[in-house]
Amino acid sequence: MNDSTKTSERPVKPKPRARSFLIALVLLVLTFWAAVKVSFDLSTFWEVWSNPIWSKFWPIPWDWVFTKENTFDPLIETLQIAVASTLLGCLVALPVSFAMSSLTTPNKVVYFISKTIMNLVRAVPDLFWAKLLVTAIGIGAFAGAWSLSIFSLAVMVKLFSETVDAADPRPLEAARSSGARHLPAVKTGVFPTVFPSYVAYSLYIFELNIRASVVLGLVGAGGVGRVIETQRQFFRFDRILGLLIIIFGIVWVIEQISVSLRKRLV
Amino acid sequence: METLSDTPIPSQRPPTPKTFHRWFIALPFLVAIIWSVAGLDITLSRLLDAPGDAWLIIKQMIPPAFGEVYERGAVGKIFESVYIAWIGTIIGAFASLPLAFLAAHNVAPLWIRSPIRQLFNAIRAVPELILAVILIPVTGLGAWAGTLAIGIHSIGTLGKWACESIEDIDEGPIEATEACGGKWVSGMRWGVLPQVMPVISSYWLFRFEINVRASAVLGMIGAGGVGSELVSQLSFRNFPAASAVLIMTMAVVLTIDTISAAVRRRIIKGAETTDEESRTLQAITDLTGIRS
Repeated sequence: MNDSTKTSERPVKPKPRARSFLIALVLLVLTFWAAVKVSFDLSTFWEVWSNPIWSKFWPIPWDWVFTKENTFDPLIETLQIAVASTLLGCLVALPVSFAMSSLTTPNKVVYFISKTIMNLVRAVPDLFWAKLLVTAIGIGAFAGAWSLSIFSLAVMVKLFSETVDAADPRPLEAARSSGARHLPAVKTGVFPTVFPSYVAYSLYIFELNIRASVVLGLVGAGGVGRVIETQRQFFRFDRILGLLIIIFGIVWVIEQISVSLRKRLV
Repeated sequence: METLSDTPIPSQRPPTPKTFHRWFIALPFLVAIIWSVAGLDITLSRLLDAPGDAWLIIKQMIPPAFGEVYERGAVGKIFESVYIAWIGTIIGAFASLPLAFLAAHNVAPLWIRSPIRQLFNAIRAVPELILAVILIPVTGLGAWAGTLAIGIHSIGTLGKWACESIEDIDEGPIEATEACGGKWVSGMRWGVLPQVMPVISSYWLFRFEINVRASAVLGMIGAGGVGSELVSQLSFRNFPAASAVLIMTMAVVLTIDTISAAVRRRIIKGAETTDEESRTLQAITDLTGIRS
């Protein structure tokens, strides 16, 4: 044991591999390239205070903002889009999620097809759906509600099918061994255990939809975003700021209610 | 001997519980459905026409005109979206990391952590698109407005996630650092950072995946990236070109998701498998979500 004196020294730090250096270098070069491409410019942050545009944001014309036709009617339309698309999306998501989970899928073909379609749907950003549907079925809240329904379906099946995957398989096995057919077995064996998380996820989707429906109007899909888009074209940023304060006040209140409901559920 | 037969076996099914109260739950839902549908001026004719209209557009989208959009420089636009997401994520990561240390309840005092937590909440409440609407007049149209919008929005979510992972740590190393005479900063550097860095960096990657989608959307209002391309093709009703843009965007989004998921798993779980075949299988699972 003549080595024991050496233990007081620090262990030698392992040398980083050449590959790590290479990866770091490539990432660094890519980052610089990307920064050039997006015209990275931190001077925005200190020039921003002297920018004359700020005078356009102030003062907020509250008497314009607090009117029914400018704020509250579009805001109600926004909420209606969010409610309708959450209900439709989550309702359709229930059977699709069971088809997409390896635990409860009726057969491999349904599993594979539903997984593939839902992955492709989810790869398209939500406002792309809105723009596509606005072009297809016309400007307005109708297209907005459809696009959010599609998007909430795609997100909901992802979240909920993973919950179903993780559900306890034993009740299902019990139901099957007593001779139940597929649907009754899933209904009695899996559904009761995952239903609370279904409701919780639905509330979460509702929160996402409330936020998304605020911006839908920017692409012509109805709701309060339409007013923002119009005022943006007139450079009335004071009005936009006033609107935004009202919107996010209301969105915040709704979210707090939803969050507290979710906490009680799970 | 006590056997099962001694306990009385219920010969009948237990009575079904009364479900009357369910109607009280169902009622608000019915009201919500009627209220929301009434506001969206949905008429039966619109509802019946919508699938037909959508089908007409889908028919015109095939085959996608890849050559045309390639000549218009759509590939560059898609990469611009990726650059915006990358730089935006880096801005968010760099700004949120120190803030997260000041927001975690186990390492920061109350007077500093509560305002920073409120800051995170406030930032998260405003969507990127709204931030871009405000930033575009300040910075001018283009990629920088989108980058800033994504960077600022990312501070909120990344800060919250990083703060939560700091709150989950084992506090022994901080105590050890203090026992050696280390200051608060040394405790953070040697006690906290090595514990949380794997989780936080995987959050950064996850945020990057989200930001790629967000930056694609930001182009629709003129903040740089592929969104503007889709909007202009759709307003010219040039559907083959629009579907080409859409498919290219989806391909890039899925590729980035797959790569990022693989890197994130490598960071969190380490090198589980070394043989090429199981890695490929993992990648397919990441891409499709299908477990075999």
